Amino acid sequence: MSPISDGPLSGLGPRLNPLGADPIYFDAGPHRLFGWLHRAADSDLGVVLCNPFGYEAICAHRGIRMFAEALAAIGVPALRFDYAGTGDSGDIACDTNQIETWTADIAAAASALRHSTGVRRVCLLGFRLGALLAVRAACESIDALIVISPIMNGRRYVRELRITQMAASLRSEDAVSSEAASGTVEVAGFSLSAASTATLAGIDLERMGMPLTSEVLVIDRTDLPTARTWSEEASRRGAQVQYQCLPGTVEMFLTAPQFGSVSEEMILATKDWISRLQGACLPIETSPAPEDVSVPVLSLAGNDASPDIIEQPVFFGEDTALFGIVSEPQLNERARRGVILLNAAVDPHFGAGRRYVSLARRWARNGYVVLRMDLAGIGDSATRTNCRNDEVFPPQAMADVRAAANFLSTRYGVQEIVLGGLCSGGYHALRAAVDGLAVRQIFLINPENYFWKQGTTLKDVQLAEAVRNPGIYRERVQSAAAWRRLLSGRVNVWRILDIYAHRGFLALESALRDIARSLHIRLPSDLGSELEELRARGVQVVFVFARGEPGIELLKLLAGSVTSRLSGSCHVHLIDGGDHTFSKRGPWEICESILTDELTKLAQAPQPTSTLRDSGTRLRTLREKSP
Amino acid sequence: MMSIRDTIIAQFQGVAAEQKRKLATLTDDLKLLHSGLDSLSFAIIVARLEELLSYDPFEANESQQFPVTFGDFVRLYENRP
Repeated sequence: MSPISDGPLSGLGPRLNPLGADPIYFDAGPHRLFGWLHRAADSDLGVVLCNPFGYEAICAHRGIRMFAEALAAIGVPALRFDYAGTGDSGDIACDTNQIETWTADIAAAASALRHSTGVRRVCLLGFRLGALLAVRAACESIDALIVISPIMNGRRYVRELRITQMAASLRSEDAVSSEAASGTVEVAGFSLSAASTATLAGIDLERMGMPLTSEVLVIDRTDLPTARTWSEEASRRGAQVQYQCLPGTVEMFLTAPQFGSVSEEMILATKDWISRLQGACLPIETSPAPEDVSVPVLSLAGNDASPDIIEQPVFFGEDTALFGIVSEPQLNERARRGVILLNAAVDPHFGAGRRYVSLARRWARNGYVVLRMDLAGIGDSATRTNCRNDEVFPPQAMADVRAAANFLSTRYGVQEIVLGGLCSGGYHALRAAVDGLAVRQIFLINPENYFWKQGTTLKDVQLAEAVRNPGIYRERVQSAAAWRRLLSGRVNVWRILDIYAHRGFLALESALRDIARSLHIRLPSDLGSELEELRARGVQVVFVFARGEPGIELLKLLAGSVTSRLSGSCHVHLIDGGDHTFSKRGPWEICESILTDELTKLAQAPQPTSTLRDSGTRLRTLREKSP
Repeated sequence: MMSIRDTIIAQFQGVAAEQKRKLATLTDDLKLLHSGLDSLSFAIIVARLEELLSYDPFEANESQQFPVTFGDFVRLYENRP
């Protein structure tokens, strides 16, 4: 069964698709893993790319894709894949030893690469923690090793993760001590189990035996080079080692992807080294015929309480190859209701913390067809000609959302569509619904914008900042130390004035818009009117906010008194303890339950609910939840 | 030779530039939450300071909580035992 492809891009064979790489699933012991196979003809050498951990994998997603594409372009097939329990791969138990499991996954990926391409030599290319895992996985059947910005000492890495976790907890009053005591680490929604951190803490590559590969390329960080000693020791033991320090680690792995960049120098160094390795290969007289191990369907078994579901990678779109994964129930769901999950910022379709995978699989078990997709220029979708990669608010987003809705309708017979997402994903859902897309419900999780002007940059003073920041400056008005800094010129006065002016303008605008609405004057870009129009069309709107998020203040400012008149069609939920991406498990589970309840209620007969009233200081919500 | 405070300021500025973040004015009472940096940024800064100053306050004291203000952060390093 080939990946589903509809529209003008359909009709392509199972080994061809618009992106030049095949989405595949392959077995790794009891697990089923998802990957992308970047094919190249007649090569004796292939490369398995080993991801970094957690949020670093989100940051580096495009960069790793570019590495794979660059290798295929020079004739070397490459397989990039998601470890068990990450990305689009099958789930694992939360107490799994991920280090041991992921090391085995790399070996399985090498085997899958050999079987599907016919290569006889495999090079492992590991990034950050992926480099440490690749070193562990390197054995007699691995012919070469590339480690980029490698984690050399597991104990030190766990400490860095804990510092990140502690720093993240500044935003909430939750202590991390209980997590630290249990041994687990949770950073940006990604967890390492206690078993994993214990194993990691015992790994020091400098003390480990050298990998059994004769060819090694080390690309070290320029700011914190830690791999030189290990490289020198490998050379002394007879390996052919090339060691380089190249810039770009922070920008590629440790910077939010919409602000990050890919290190072209690292890609070039890798290509050059692989080319030399490829050129040194002995000519092949015969190579085994490649086996097609890629059956691009993932079956996820349920249990007595929940049915089996299947997942399949899909391509769709009229002018641009858009990618997504569809999760659907095994049994035919007569109602054919569908959900489309839209990218949060430029996080790929599985979402930060893999939240969208969790939603998709849960809702598929409830009978929904769920598409988690990448807008053009994001994740694994193609980029439109003359457009940039990784734009949070791409100008053609509405066209992509329409293509997704059309795809679900024509291919899966979906009759009712729900649209939503986190942050900008919620924004796009709102805009699509306002634009007239036939949807039954939209949900917005922590939106920070309700309007966006093309040409604005993310660094401009956004509405969210204007709403969020004045609280800080109000405190400082009462601070003598703050006045001393102001008078001594150590404060950016213009920025403060800009924020206050923006805030004042918002308040004035809100009041004027309320007057216009009461006079039935329809102003452009009026959120209140838009929400009323959605209600009139029967579109239900669900907002979910973490307490303290600026989006709810913006909602009150921009929608004005409309929020007090909405009844039954607009639900606002506040959750304590969450952050912008609901990275902590507890608040996320509440968010997921709320959204699931809203979907369930939608499927039942609509019932009147309490009218939301604006008390002037806060919205009284249908549900306020604490973990 | 740079003071510890100046070394720390340089690291904050460097990471902010690399990550294209707007860094707030670094004053002692600035809450790190409002500095413009995120948790990843702080982890990078601590790792680099360990390299520069041969000291990681979080390794030295495993029960050390993350400082709340910039001043707390600086004092963590200045008051090194």
